[in-house]
Amino acid sequence: MNLNPFWSMSTNTGRKRSDGEEQSGEQQQQRASPARPSFGKKQLPSIPKNAVPITKPASPAATAQLANGTHASYGPFYLEYSLLAEFTLVIKQKLPGIYVQPSYKSALMWFGVIFIRHGLYQDGVFKFTVYIPDNYPDGECPRVVFDIPVFHPLVDPVSGELDVRRAFTKWRRNHNHIWQVLMYARTVFYKINTMEPLNPEAAVLYDKDVQLFKSKVIDSVKLCNSHLFDQPKMDDPYAISFSSWNPAIHDEAKERMFSHKRRPEDHHKGLQVSGLSWVKPGSTQPFSKDDNPPLS
Amino acid sequence: MASMVANGNRDGRQGEALVLKGVDPETCMIVFKNHWAQVVKILEKHDPLRSNTSSNMAALGVIGLSSGGPMRFGGPIPGDEASAVQNYVEHILFLLMEEDAGQAGAMGPILEFVVMENVMERLFLWSLRRQFTDDMKLEQLKMYEMIVGQARQPLLHHKPVLRPLMMLLSSCSGTAGPEVEAELVSLLNQLCCVLAKDQSVLELFFHTSEDQGAANFLIFSLLIPFIHREGLVGQQARDALLLIMSLSAENQRVAQHIAENTYFCPVLATGLSGLYSSLPTKLEVPGEEWHCLHREDWLQMPTLVQFLNSLEFCNAVIQVAHPNIRDQLVSYIYNGFLVPVLAPALHKPTLEEVMTTTAYLDLFVRSVSEPVLLQTFLSFILLHRHENVHILDTLVSRINTPFQLGTVSLALFQTLIGLYCEDVMLQLILRYLIPCNHMMLSQRRVVKERDFYSVSAAKILALTPSCCSPEHSPPPLRQLDSILWSKGTDNSPNTGTMETEETFLEEDGSGYSCVIGSEIYLDVNYLHYLYNARLGISSCTRACQVWSAPYDGEDPPPEESHPHPRPRPPCPPQTTDPAPTNQLELEWDDSYDAGPVVSPEAATAESSKPPQLPAAEPPKHIQEMRRTAIMLVKGSYIEESDFQDDVMVYDLVAKKDARDTVTKGSKEVKAHVADHNSNLQSPLAEVGDDLMGQYEELIRTLGSDEAGTGGSSPVKTVDKEFRNPVVTPMEEDEVDFSSFSMDTPELEKQHSSLFGTKLCSGSTRSHSVPFTGPFVSVLLSRLENMLDNSLHVNLLLTGILAQLAAYPQPLLQSFLLNTNMVFQPSVRSLYQVLASLKNQIEQQASTKKDFPKLITSAQHCLLARESSLKGQDSRECSPLEAGRMMKSSPPPQPKTISLARTEVFATVLFTEFLKELAAIAQEHSILSHVPMEE
Repeated sequence: MNLNPFWSMSTNTGRKRSDGEEQSGEQQQQRASPARPSFGKKQLPSIPKNAVPITKPASPAATAQLANGTHASYGPFYLEYSLLAEFTLVIKQKLPGIYVQPSYKSALMWFGVIFIRHGLYQDGVFKFTVYIPDNYPDGECPRVVFDIPVFHPLVDPVSGELDVRRAFTKWRRNHNHIWQVLMYARTVFYKINTMEPLNPEAAVLYDKDVQLFKSKVIDSVKLCNSHLFDQPKMDDPYAISFSSWNPAIHDEAKERMFSHKRRPEDHHKGLQVSGLSWVKPGSTQPFSKDDNPPLS
Repeated sequence: MASMVANGNRDGRQGEALVLKGVDPETCMIVFKNHWAQVVKILEKHDPLRSNTSSNMAALGVIGLSSGGPMRFGGPIPGDEASAVQNYVEHILFLLMEEDAGQAGAMGPILEFVVMENVMERLFLWSLRRQFTDDMKLEQLKMYEMIVGQARQPLLHHKPVLRPLMMLLSSCSGTAGPEVEAELVSLLNQLCCVLAKDQSVLELFFHTSEDQGAANFLIFSLLIPFIHREGLVGQQARDALLLIMSLSAENQRVAQHIAENTYFCPVLATGLSGLYSSLPTKLEVPGEEWHCLHREDWLQMPTLVQFLNSLEFCNAVIQVAHPNIRDQLVSYIYNGFLVPVLAPALHKPTLEEVMTTTAYLDLFVRSVSEPVLLQTFLSFILLHRHENVHILDTLVSRINTPFQLGTVSLALFQTLIGLYCEDVMLQLILRYLIPCNHMMLSQRRVVKERDFYSVSAAKILALTPSCCSPEHSPPPLRQLDSILWSKGTDNSPNTGTMETEETFLEEDGSGYSCVIGSEIYLDVNYLHYLYNARLGISSCTRACQVWSAPYDGEDPPPEESHPHPRPRPPCPPQTTDPAPTNQLELEWDDSYDAGPVVSPEAATAESSKPPQLPAAEPPKHIQEMRRTAIMLVKGSYIEESDFQDDVMVYDLVAKKDARDTVTKGSKEVKAHVADHNSNLQSPLAEVGDDLMGQYEELIRTLGSDEAGTGGSSPVKTVDKEFRNPVVTPMEEDEVDFSSFSMDTPELEKQHSSLFGTKLCSGSTRSHSVPFTGPFVSVLLSRLENMLDNSLHVNLLLTGILAQLAAYPQPLLQSFLLNTNMVFQPSVRSLYQVLASLKNQIEQQASTKKDFPKLITSAQHCLLARESSLKGQDSRECSPLEAGRMMKSSPPPQPKTISLARTEVFATVLFTEFLKELAAIAQEHSILSHVPMEE
């Protein structure tokens, strides 16, 4: 699986030091080919660098409860793949201004950042973490916690947690997906809701004194942005970190990013395709293409 | 002189070159002229027309050639004079070779002299004048080879050089000894190299030929007879021809000439037929396990090597030649080899022969790489009809043969499926799935749904037999590679914002984190399956990008497509759509019209009274089959009773659904058979080649007999049917199509199928009876029989199914892997078969006390097998299979277990197969839904 632009973008923009990148690449590789001591003699064939690691399972609960009524041994695999599926779905959605990436340590924890481009919170860049319950998809809805508590009626001023549950009162497998949570996290900054707030002050201000609310928001955005270049809160190689523009590192990355779009077509041409088809599009007859050489 | 020149080629010449180095051209010219004067003196002495020194030489040459015989004027030439000429000639040729071109590409003085004096032609005539023996030809050929290959200036542009060369070449065509042939081909090869480098010479070759009357391309024509030659000569000839072929790609004239005026393509194609006929018709099979011709197998067979060389050559020609030539060649291969030779060979009278042909076909398909040629083979397999039956149907039906033929056929299909060819998959499976009537209507929207939570994988893995579940197997074996997830101890420092973190993340001593809970045994083996699944699916997905449609239940649209009509193109129109779940539907109905004999009424009538025998003779292969069958049975080729049991069991197991009826029926049939066999030798003994088909035939006959044919003896009926050519195509088809998911009692069905077809020919089966195609049916029925199959059959079967499951097309994926899909009751799914296998296994396990022990032994045995295969790079150790076999540290001394305990091995394999399928399902859930960008 190709790790989509989302992934690479957020990683690239987030590098602090040039060696940070190497380091993480290294770690990624180590992780991708899990020749860990605990594996004993077992060696997996190395997995292509970009592949999503498949070996980082998961849930303590899987042992205890057999969600699918099958062997405990496979529980972690199911969870891992469910989350991978969710992640691929997020990628597919191409949510505007939102980037996430699962942590190195657990597929149950995703790092994210959200860019607000209009409205009251314009120019806000908020980092957050998504925590997914380990009995996913049968548990509660995932939690979204901002690194810095944004001044917002639905964000807990102490913990930074966003009130997600109000939108997903019951998490329903197959109906609810993590991308919806992310989408919701974005929406709250454009459509402010003051019902049952986690931050009553913000709610009251918004209803009673929008000007003051606005200025508080601006302060909050400033505060958040001033911490943008801080070390990530979580010590994780895949945590999102920001650094100021360094042409030595970022120009090339930018270049790659822009050229990436053009690549697919070029790519197809050069690639030796191993498949065969002589079926004319729209037909279900074999050898129906016109350019087939006549056999008789 | 021959030897001198030959030596001169290497040593002598080099010496000479040294001598010549630094000698000024004028001196060389003087030496040359002197030598030539000496030669001329001798030449003229023996020249009957000595007055005309040079001008008439050409005419003479032509006369000499056309009169055919050696020309001798003025009696024999003394030996000393001949050798004197020889010496001089050697010297002047060296001088010629060593001469550099003049300024601006002009001829050097020596060459100019050679041209003016017509030196080469006179030398040629000189050798004609003496006995024009092979030695003489050899000498001349070598002479040209030397100067053509080593001259420093272009020589062939000059007619006085070119023309005698052409005369020499044409005089060498036809009868000549092997030495001359070798030299001739070598020279031709060299000329082709020159041609490839300098196309301007090409024109001259054509022109020169025209001088001789016929517009031909002599070099080319001379090479053709050597196309299929073995050894160096053949190789050189083929290389040379390939050079011309690539020339033809750019040069319309050459292409046209080859396609229209030469026998190149027919020779090439019919040569394949010739070589094929010298292949052994029966292979000596090394063991039961053998299922396809590996490299090390065919390297032992010179005739096969030779065939493959020629096939490879065809492949190369098609790759480089002009489209006109390519199309012509492909057409000849189809019409000159595949149809007239391979098709009958696939219908030879004995099992071994047919098996051998199948193995050859598999090897050929694997050897061919050029898409156009591959297409030719595939279109032969998919569309050609031999005696009214599609080759494909025949091949599919043979999968069900309980002998090695079945195994070899499986291997062939493994090859076919591995091609990632849309046309193949369409014919084999997809066209049956496109209408979507194998599923409930409401399920159509499910086709494209993705399995977010690995539900299907979980359901598949839940079929793991209790005796094999990871929890139950003893630690050393089970978790050979189990990971022990360490227990959580304390908080990692950075997780302050989390509430559930106590047991959440943990760094272990080595700096790697793992997830903790209590101890979890992870089946690390399963990681391999996931990894292989990912590889398999991605490469398949990439390959299928060239396909015309996604096959997702919407495109192609289910409504419009009927699997019904088969494309007609290269083959005569036909109908036999192999498919019916219901024999009633077997569509040889249309072929009634096209084919000979039997009106529907007559056919119907047959059921009630013994009809007039149709006048037509039975098809040849049936006659032969009859003969061999008699022979086989008489020669106790197989124990009669064994054979019957096998076939019975085999056939019947496949019909589980109708088990009761069938068992009853089979008893009756057995009784009949026994009866007949005791009384007769012939018609019933014909159970030779297509055992299954014939058996069905037999059963059917008996059925109709029971149904009240009354007076006619079963034997007669059989006999009658054999003579009825229309019946023939049915035989094999019926084997397979009869068996699945039916509720009608067997015999009844057989009965109606025979005579009822025409009656319902108007209905479109695709709308009446859901059917997923004979191929899937046969595979599943063999899979259901897994416990009785030998290990390698099961390896092949599961390998093929896994290969199919890796295809990304939602129709296929949903059919094979989606355990939530609701299918029509008459459709059997892979999951159903797996579930039934689990039950069979649990039953076995509960009745046999030592089963767990046996399982352990079998696991060890398979592990050992795997490690022994690991080293080899044979096809047998495909990555998939390697993955399927369990991995481990060196197994603790396996207790030996006989491979005959198929149920034990099958149980182990079954468990592994479940993992393989589950892994594929899991990978699909993420891979198939990510846009392919890399």
